Amino acid sequence: MKLSKHFLGATLFALALIGVTSFLGNDYYLRIVFMMCVYYLCAAGMNVLVGYAGQKSLGQAGLFAAGAYAVALLTTRTEISPWLALVLAAVISAVCGVLIALPSLRVKGPYLAMVTLAFGIVVEKLVGEWTDVFGGAQGIYGIKALTWNDQPLTPLQWVWLGIVLCAVTHLLLRNLLQGRFGRALLSLQADEIASSSVGVRVYRAKVIAFVVAAVTCGIAGALVAQQNQYINSDFITFHLSIFILLLVLFGGAGSQYGPLVGAVILTIIDASLARWPSAQHFLYGFLLLFALYFMPGGVAGLLSKWFRKPTSAPEASSAAQGLTRIGPQGEGELLVAQGVTKNFGGVKPAQNVSFKLQRGHIHALIGPNGAGKSTMINMLTGLLDPTEGSIKFLGEEVSNRPVHSICRMGIGRTFQNLRLFADLSVLDNVMLGRHTRMTNGFFATLFAIPSARKQEAATRARALQLLDLVDLLHLAHQPAGSLPYGLQRRVELARALATEPQLLLLDEPAAGLNPQETAELGALLVRIGKCGVTILMVEHHMDLVMSISDHVIVLDYGIKIAEGKPAEVQANPRVVEAYLGVDEPEQATAST
Amino acid sequence: MTEALLQAVLSGLAVGGAYALVALGFSITFTTTKTLNFSHGEFVSAGAFIGMSALFLFLGLPVTSTTFGQALPGAGAQLIALAAALGVMGLLGWLLYVIGVRPFAGRPGMAWVMSTLGFGVILQSIGLAIWGPKPVVVPGPVGDSVIRLFGVGVRPQELLTLGVAVVIMIVFDFVMNRTMVGKAMRAVAANGNVASLMGINTNAVMIGAFVVSSALAGLSGFLLAPIAQASLFMGLTVGLKGFSGAMIGGLSNPRGCVIGGFVLGILESLVNLWSAQWREVAVFALVILVLAFRPTGLFGKQMVEKV
Repeated sequence: MKLSKHFLGATLFALALIGVTSFLGNDYYLRIVFMMCVYYLCAAGMNVLVGYAGQKSLGQAGLFAAGAYAVALLTTRTEISPWLALVLAAVISAVCGVLIALPSLRVKGPYLAMVTLAFGIVVEKLVGEWTDVFGGAQGIYGIKALTWNDQPLTPLQWVWLGIVLCAVTHLLLRNLLQGRFGRALLSLQADEIASSSVGVRVYRAKVIAFVVAAVTCGIAGALVAQQNQYINSDFITFHLSIFILLLVLFGGAGSQYGPLVGAVILTIIDASLARWPSAQHFLYGFLLLFALYFMPGGVAGLLSKWFRKPTSAPEASSAAQGLTRIGPQGEGELLVAQGVTKNFGGVKPAQNVSFKLQRGHIHALIGPNGAGKSTMINMLTGLLDPTEGSIKFLGEEVSNRPVHSICRMGIGRTFQNLRLFADLSVLDNVMLGRHTRMTNGFFATLFAIPSARKQEAATRARALQLLDLVDLLHLAHQPAGSLPYGLQRRVELARALATEPQLLLLDEPAAGLNPQETAELGALLVRIGKCGVTILMVEHHMDLVMSISDHVIVLDYGIKIAEGKPAEVQANPRVVEAYLGVDEPEQATAST
Repeated sequence: MTEALLQAVLSGLAVGGAYALVALGFSITFTTTKTLNFSHGEFVSAGAFIGMSALFLFLGLPVTSTTFGQALPGAGAQLIALAAALGVMGLLGWLLYVIGVRPFAGRPGMAWVMSTLGFGVILQSIGLAIWGPKPVVVPGPVGDSVIRLFGVGVRPQELLTLGVAVVIMIVFDFVMNRTMVGKAMRAVAANGNVASLMGINTNAVMIGAFVVSSALAGLSGFLLAPIAQASLFMGLTVGLKGFSGAMIGGLSNPRGCVIGGFVLGILESLVNLWSAQWREVAVFALVILVLAFRPTGLFGKQMVEKV
């Protein structure tokens, strides 16, 4: 198995390192290797946050401090075992991680970066100025070192411990990032709205990323404090935050080995420039300023260009499969909207709109530009909450529920302006759709227990099946953003289908398609309808609407002006008026 | 008690003026380019040190000296130093835009956060190489004798800071709302592509935004140096508090930013009366509180992403 092969490789590598370091008699070199391990721990967690979740944290020094001062206070003021103190330090850092993640629920991007920066500075000030507790620049002496057989660890043993911790961290994070969680984090980095619409709990994922980064950083801080048996406020500086960030960016954010490369190279540079602190800082500033310009993927990105793996072979179609069943069969009302009203100040894109969607039908929502069609879709999927009225899906109220939970209930959607995760492969995009249908939790994924691996395999198989349905199997491993526009639309459709929707909302699925592609899309939608999926589509191509839909709803300026069978709607004078204005009726028979 | 309070409010207003200048600087670049200068704080320090070096040169001292001794620069020297600080900072702002912001602006991933941060780290390390980490006492342009006002002692430099800040705000407000230049800046802020179709040189406007923003940072550093000693580390907290002021007021609203800066200055100085340690914590707690209830600030516009 691939996974165990990697496990074996990493273990052998760690053992080899342990063997090599045994012959390093020099304490100075041992110290450098130990610091590499410490910085690797920081970087590995930070990579989850920066490289995968795309959240810039500029306050990691604060979390480093949380771990370091936790062991310092715990071992100097209480009698608990140093090992237990190390574990508690990780827990305390995790709590701080939640704390620093809280603002991310409200603010994004540069705001959040600035808040994390402020967190780092506040911690720096606190440990520097609250001398009663943290000792300020005097620091805290007499921190108990970790012990082995009741003896404090020797420098060599510290290095071994560091290597073992790094290897374990690497393997655990690899489990986490290669499956469900890694995909979810990458998707929220690319597009939070699309991410929540496929069922990813965006805030929860962000908090998890912050906590992972906090725990590894806290453990790193605790190790440094315990190894030195001393900590003071000079350790906790803004430059440490920058250094930790740089480890990831320079090494290669979002790449598996980036943090390792960054930690090794930068620790060596750091050690060799230790005598000239201003040169050190100048170099870090220089790297921050130019590294992203010249090597956006970091050193690991450069290396992977040289050692490019052969791209995986295209997936072969798994023979002719019958129709894929997606939703349950049945009849009856699937969704009932009652008196839905939405006001944006003076603009009223929906006024007292009521309609019912029948299971198994293809419904169309049409109307001139500005009629409030997209607003309606956004209300049905929870991106907007109606000002008044109720939307009941299978008898349950939809409005005021978060987007991801509506997706879980069984409403899938596509967007008017494509919202694919452009850097992810087509297959990953579709697999993300199944995010809510997977049941492996955080810890199951972290430790790669067999059931989690089974889930992953099942999701992959299902995604391939769906790609087959939309005829994209041969492009499964291409980045979604590299596909032509028409094919991207189909990827988005497959992604929405992967959420196992009972109701599929399509916002202008044929926009930008040529007549040939539009006809193909029509056939595809009918096929999807036969798989047990009810469809509501917003569309301007009247030939498509009239040929495949069972039921048409017409909106104009937020008011429902007609509904019924396509032919009835076509003949309705109010509809004709809305599209073409008041004119001699005989001129207005054209369907568009 | 009331005297102590009044004293605190007055000095809070003075420091708040400096924060407001910094906050305004953030607002200017954010509205026009959707980017922030993450080394704005270092620019504040740089402004202080450039003004200081100009004074050294004027007094015939070497640039690298770290004390004024008994020498007292005259008003003319101070004015020239101010001009030098503004000019050099403007140039630095232009440089920052060209090498640190333009290559990354408008692209996903916020690489500009790193590049502007790196620019600041470089500035600071150059400063450290020249002057070292020790703070320098800088003589103020209006003397250091304390004035009695409403029964409380005020340093003239504090009044000067407040006065200059208020004048700058009024001028800026007038320029933004009543002149063609201001309209161009607001047009670029609203939609750069459309603005360029209307014949507005968006590149020039963006460069202008960074030049003005950096000059404002330099100005606040120049004004703060006599109050709080010039230090290469003074900027980081000033920059952060300026940003906090901007967040409280709303980054997209320059007037809100100014109010936020003043509010923060007063709050900080009042908390200081009670406990110096918790000063920073109180300030950032307020920011978090405001963000929790109004993520776009008290006076900011709600931003809606179209789907």
